[in-house]
Amino acid sequence: MKVTTIVNVPEVVTIDEIREEIKDVKTFYLSFDKKEYQDTFKIRSGQFVMCTVFGSGEFAVSLPPSPENDRFHLTVKKVGKVTTALHELEPGDKLGIRGPFGNGFPFEEIKGKNVIYVAGGIGLIPLRSSIVHVLQHKEEFGRVIVMHGAQTPEALMYKDNLKEWQNFDGFETYITVDNPTPDWTGETGFVHTLFDKANLPVENTVAFVCGPPIMFNTVIGELMKRGISDESIYSTLERHMKCGVGKCQHCAIGRTLVCTDGPVYTFRQIKTLGEEI
Amino acid sequence: MIMFLIKKSDVLEIAKELGKEYQVLGPVVDTDSGQTFFEKTEPELIQLKAPIPSVPPKYTVFPQIETLMRYRYDRESKAVEIRELYEAKPKALFGLRSCDLSGLLCLDRFFLGQEFVDEAYRVHRKKMFIVTNTCVTPFKNCFCVCTDSGPAAEEGYDLNLTELDDVYLVEAGSDKGRELAERMGLEKADESYAVKKKEAVDKSVSLFEEFATDSKAWISRVMNRVTTGFIREDVWEYIGDQCFECGACTFVCPSCSCFNIVDVNNADGSSERLRTWDSCSYEGYSRMAGGHNPRKPVEDRRNKRFFCKLSYSQMKKYLRPGCVGCGRCAWVCPGNIGLPKVVEYVRRETHK
Repeated sequence: MKVTTIVNVPEVVTIDEIREEIKDVKTFYLSFDKKEYQDTFKIRSGQFVMCTVFGSGEFAVSLPPSPENDRFHLTVKKVGKVTTALHELEPGDKLGIRGPFGNGFPFEEIKGKNVIYVAGGIGLIPLRSSIVHVLQHKEEFGRVIVMHGAQTPEALMYKDNLKEWQNFDGFETYITVDNPTPDWTGETGFVHTLFDKANLPVENTVAFVCGPPIMFNTVIGELMKRGISDESIYSTLERHMKCGVGKCQHCAIGRTLVCTDGPVYTFRQIKTLGEEI
Repeated sequence: MIMFLIKKSDVLEIAKELGKEYQVLGPVVDTDSGQTFFEKTEPELIQLKAPIPSVPPKYTVFPQIETLMRYRYDRESKAVEIRELYEAKPKALFGLRSCDLSGLLCLDRFFLGQEFVDEAYRVHRKKMFIVTNTCVTPFKNCFCVCTDSGPAAEEGYDLNLTELDDVYLVEAGSDKGRELAERMGLEKADESYAVKKKEAVDKSVSLFEEFATDSKAWISRVMNRVTTGFIREDVWEYIGDQCFECGACTFVCPSCSCFNIVDVNNADGSSERLRTWDSCSYEGYSRMAGGHNPRKPVEDRRNKRFFCKLSYSQMKKYLRPGCVGCGRCAWVCPGNIGLPKVVEYVRRETHK
């Protein structure tokens, strides 16, 4: 089937539904106004799109939906001028989409392996696509461990999905918060403190890590201490982007561009970039 | 190579002929400032002997500011109209110096030869006629012999002019160029003129020591170091300390191509998506929404620019060094960190 990449002029989408995830984070369910894109707009887990908020500008945003059998949606935190304008929109409003761009996660290479997901806060957004994909194809993977940490119970992302993953036979899901509320009955502490409890596999294992820089460094240190090699640890990087297609150069990191060489990198690659993450 | 001759006094006839089909741009000296500008002009006003223009003609393919699309979103009716605006008049660049042509070739390979083709650039570039002009004497700030981009153009032109005694040798580099020369009935040049041209170019190279007194850049050894990263951090700090973060070096560079994109709203309710030049020397260049800036210190940003100009990995994109040896960055820098100076600092490990 023909697969489209929208490169130059954004295609118009309609916001069908808006869901409040956590404070300042909303999920926007979208559908293309031109019907042909409903069929030809295919994504890979780990890719991103450029989203235009008409009258404000365009920003790069990761894709949380699974490549198959999932509604097209974006989950966006209100941080700057354009995302603030986006948060003011309502169902029925229009957006523009270009993409999908970037390399995506290497599913072919990780088939048959154990998969560990470690997501801190909204770091779960770019990993969701991959987690749902693995859930839909669980038989192709070994142990699947999903670990999500947030500052407070209210700040846990995708609460419905977390429940589903906790109950899914074949997933080992761990959830922890830094600052528990009195009614919190789950784990507390930083996410890497659960590694022993989860009895993490080391052999034939890959890890996907995404979260704020401080959590990122601790988690990767702990994974490597346990013997998981830097080649088997993947992350997805974030940069200021203007074009998404390797031209504006804003996302340059080391000798690579996050938009066309990334956004998914192994930790071995990240180390050679020689720049702050 | 098919070569023709034209009398020195008639050389602008070529520009006039081009003017029938193209908008002609060429070097013109501004009488007030004494600066050369490469701009839209009447063909007879072109000054072929003018020094290299202060601003490179990259703006002809990559304008300082340009509208990519215009749109209107009516929130009441939820109606969106988007109109893309890729349009360009056919242009003839007459009297381009070989350094500036090399810059243009860098941009071609970058904008057209990668995974994605830049549509706005392609539209500007596809209808273009290029007449280069061999530098028979170098200018003060030149170092094209160090960057393999001169003094004579070797590829990428439609016609190349070389001043020889009382004639200009006219070499055709494309079918379009040959057809124009034939249409004008130019006299064919025999092989002896190729020898004469070589002598003129060799002489020009020999004059660098005497005339190009501002800049020397032994870049090959430094390219190795920039590529491998074996440069002391305090050398970059020394360079960074002299950077005013003005962005001038990037704007006058024939091969710099970073841009910013902004949407601006018009009074009539429509909006325009503009693309403007941007510079990696600005602090906001890599700052993300939310404030995190992975490349905040100025030396990290300077480091990045010289990586672009001098590393092998960038050479793979441009198929030549990113620096074309025009010397403009050294000319405009209010600090003292034009590319030749940076090369010197890196070579000598100058630090605080």
